[in-house]
Amino acid sequence: MSMNVSRRSVLAGAAALPFLRMRGARAATPGTMTFGLSSYPPSIQPWANTGTAAATVKLMIHRGLTGFAPDGSLRAELAESWAPEGTTAWVFKLRDATFQNGEKVTSADVKWTIEQVAGEKSTAYLRTQMQSIDKIETPDDKTVRFVMKEPVAILPVTLANFHMPIVSRVSDPKALVGAGPFTIKAQERGVAIDLEAFPKYYKPGLPKLKAIRAVAYADENLRVAALQAGDVDLIEYVPWQAMETISKDTNLSLDAVDGPYMYLVFNATKPPFDDARVRRAVAHAIKREEVVKAAFFGRGSRLAHLPILKTSEFFNPEYENGWAHDPALAKKLLSEAGHADGFGCSLLSTAQYGMHKDTAEVVQQNLAAIGIRAELNLPDWATRVSIGNKGQYDLAVMGDAADSNDPDGIAKAIDGSLSAAYTRSFGLKTSKITALIKAGSAEFDRDKRKAIYKELEALAIEETPIVGVAWRSQGYAMQKRVSGFKNRPGALTFYSGTTFEDVSVG
Amino acid sequence: MMLRYALARIAVALALIWAVVTIVFLVIHVVPGDPAELLLAQGGVAPDPAAVAELREKLGLDQPILTQYLAYVCGLLRGDLGSSLLDDHSVAEEIALHLPRTLELILAAGLIATMLGLPLGTIAALRTGRPIDRILSAAAGLGLSVPVFVVGTLAVLVFAQKLRLVPAGGFVPFTRDPAQHLLLLLMPAATIAVGLGAVVFRMTRTSVLEVLRRDYVRTAHAKGLSARRIVMHHVIRNALIPVVTVLALHMGSLLGGTVLVEFVFNWPGLSGDLVRAVEQRDYPEVVGIVLVISVVLVIINLVVDLLYAVIDPRVRHG
Repeated sequence: MSMNVSRRSVLAGAAALPFLRMRGARAATPGTMTFGLSSYPPSIQPWANTGTAAATVKLMIHRGLTGFAPDGSLRAELAESWAPEGTTAWVFKLRDATFQNGEKVTSADVKWTIEQVAGEKSTAYLRTQMQSIDKIETPDDKTVRFVMKEPVAILPVTLANFHMPIVSRVSDPKALVGAGPFTIKAQERGVAIDLEAFPKYYKPGLPKLKAIRAVAYADENLRVAALQAGDVDLIEYVPWQAMETISKDTNLSLDAVDGPYMYLVFNATKPPFDDARVRRAVAHAIKREEVVKAAFFGRGSRLAHLPILKTSEFFNPEYENGWAHDPALAKKLLSEAGHADGFGCSLLSTAQYGMHKDTAEVVQQNLAAIGIRAELNLPDWATRVSIGNKGQYDLAVMGDAADSNDPDGIAKAIDGSLSAAYTRSFGLKTSKITALIKAGSAEFDRDKRKAIYKELEALAIEETPIVGVAWRSQGYAMQKRVSGFKNRPGALTFYSGTTFEDVSVG
Repeated sequence: MMLRYALARIAVALALIWAVVTIVFLVIHVVPGDPAELLLAQGGVAPDPAAVAELREKLGLDQPILTQYLAYVCGLLRGDLGSSLLDDHSVAEEIALHLPRTLELILAAGLIATMLGLPLGTIAALRTGRPIDRILSAAAGLGLSVPVFVVGTLAVLVFAQKLRLVPAGGFVPFTRDPAQHLLLLLMPAATIAVGLGAVVFRMTRTSVLEVLRRDYVRTAHAKGLSARRIVMHHVIRNALIPVVTVLALHMGSLLGGTVLVEFVFNWPGLSGDLVRAVEQRDYPEVVGIVLVISVVLVIINLVVDLLYAVIDPRVRHG
């Protein structure tokens, strides 16, 4: 068979190009949402921390005993109620719920789950916290009683963590089964995960969607382009430089909150940062507005105190400017510490993430203004983590989010009694702070807790175990046809995956 | 004599592959960064050191590097490339999944580059010094000098965001949706083809100009053959040899070099996988991918060496 190709047929073919677009390329299939993930989860192991993209997927397929409501408050999930018994026990009552393998959720599953997390060979994120449980009693199928080794007032908050879902004890160890609103239907490794609604989800009428296709777009610009082109309905990790354009687009909406934060950590095993006065001098040298502008395109806000949100009942207005920019005070503190002429040091960050690099560059300039000559060290992220864990630096830039909006959620950044880690100052002894953190987590009375955390913040401003630099805006963007999605407030922004059960498209 | 030469070349090729594997294995283990730490520290959180130690033991990372190396080489001899440290997925399966995607991208780019570069290079050579030659040569210069990520980003902006002709990026398996698969392949392949096409154009133009000056072309003219027949049957055919050689070499080097295009268009190929594996210090995955790329390149070189020996006996005697 011969085929003649004429100029006219070529032009006709070119004109038909727009109709070549397949339906699957566009979002808005009825009942289905296409979600642009920031990366393909390296693993969806329920209890290990394998990143926020994995956490979002976990929130689609799993539920814990407790969770977080849209306003950030604690809410019931698999447990319908809970109450302390004295100060060393908690009793949780389970609701009628079904796992995705058809098994009923029982107290035995809860006990088995906690035992897996706390186990000797466990690599679970909350292993240490679950090891604080001395005994788990299951008087009946619907009741779980946790006997603690010591008082823990924040256990219900810890159990709401997305790394603490309850899993069916009769699961295949390689495919642990949850009781969330969606089940994984198919996975194309490195590309996409297809999920479908779980019909026996315990919340009547939910989920509203029939299916979700979570497609990984590692390039933030492509993620935005895919949203603007209509290929996806919703994206996470909206780059700050695109927020303005998206918020002005009549077809799109932006839901962003200040939640994660940037801060500085020190190597306190050697001079000069073993001296609290020098650490505080650094805190007073930082022009935080410049960091917000340079690293986050103005999408964030200054953080000159401990990372406790303004909306939190534990926020202390009197310390809001505890580390305010004050070069004169910074120089005075340096002088008192014997560094009137300044000194040289290394400043560790990473070139792999723009926000870390940009923050480091502004900090370097700010420090130069008070006589501290910081030399940037910007390796890739893996090396930065390794160097940080070994304390091979003087001063370092870090970014993180608290575990929750409870002030105990920032303990991991300021508690020097915890193991050496790149996320907190290296070798810094904080015995008083540690004691207050412990007292705060053990205190059941709200007002007494507030008093404890107020004292803790006052102490932290003086001791400066970290230096708060900036809150950064964490955004989701979506087509206007998407409804029901709500970015959780503050540190809970990464829990917004919970909201997919309420989302509808169309 | 030819057999001895072939065996010697194969021995050198195997030694080369072993050297590459050894160097990459040692280098990736020596550079700072612990996969166990990284795996449990996603999202900027501090992992429990006990959990890290457990994971290191589970992954065999607590063993001396020589023990790990010997275990890896023994595995290789059994045809086992090991498992990913991230999720225990077979490295061989992972490569089998990603390699065809990158090869497809490179082949599609090569096809587009040839379809554009060959005719346009010939036209430019036949019209040398004229405006069409100057315009095409300038365009080729531009194609060579503009970075691939700029071309890719502009393509997404224009064809996906503004004109909405094609999706912004992504991947759908051919077996699932052939039309969508080809549509998604179009932009990344065309982006690579911009630079590659410019290379083909330049080589074709130079080669055609050279052939046009040959005696046999003059003879063909003297015999009264039509210009079209001379170009099609005598010029292009002879000019193709260096063009094909250069194209093949460039396409071979693209095997590990499509990373930017894969990133910009979200094409899940081998290059992107390699970068992710390096970032995560996923040792077996890194070494496995480098090994496969090395094997492919060494085989290409080996075939070329052997072909040279067949064509020119002086090579095997020299």
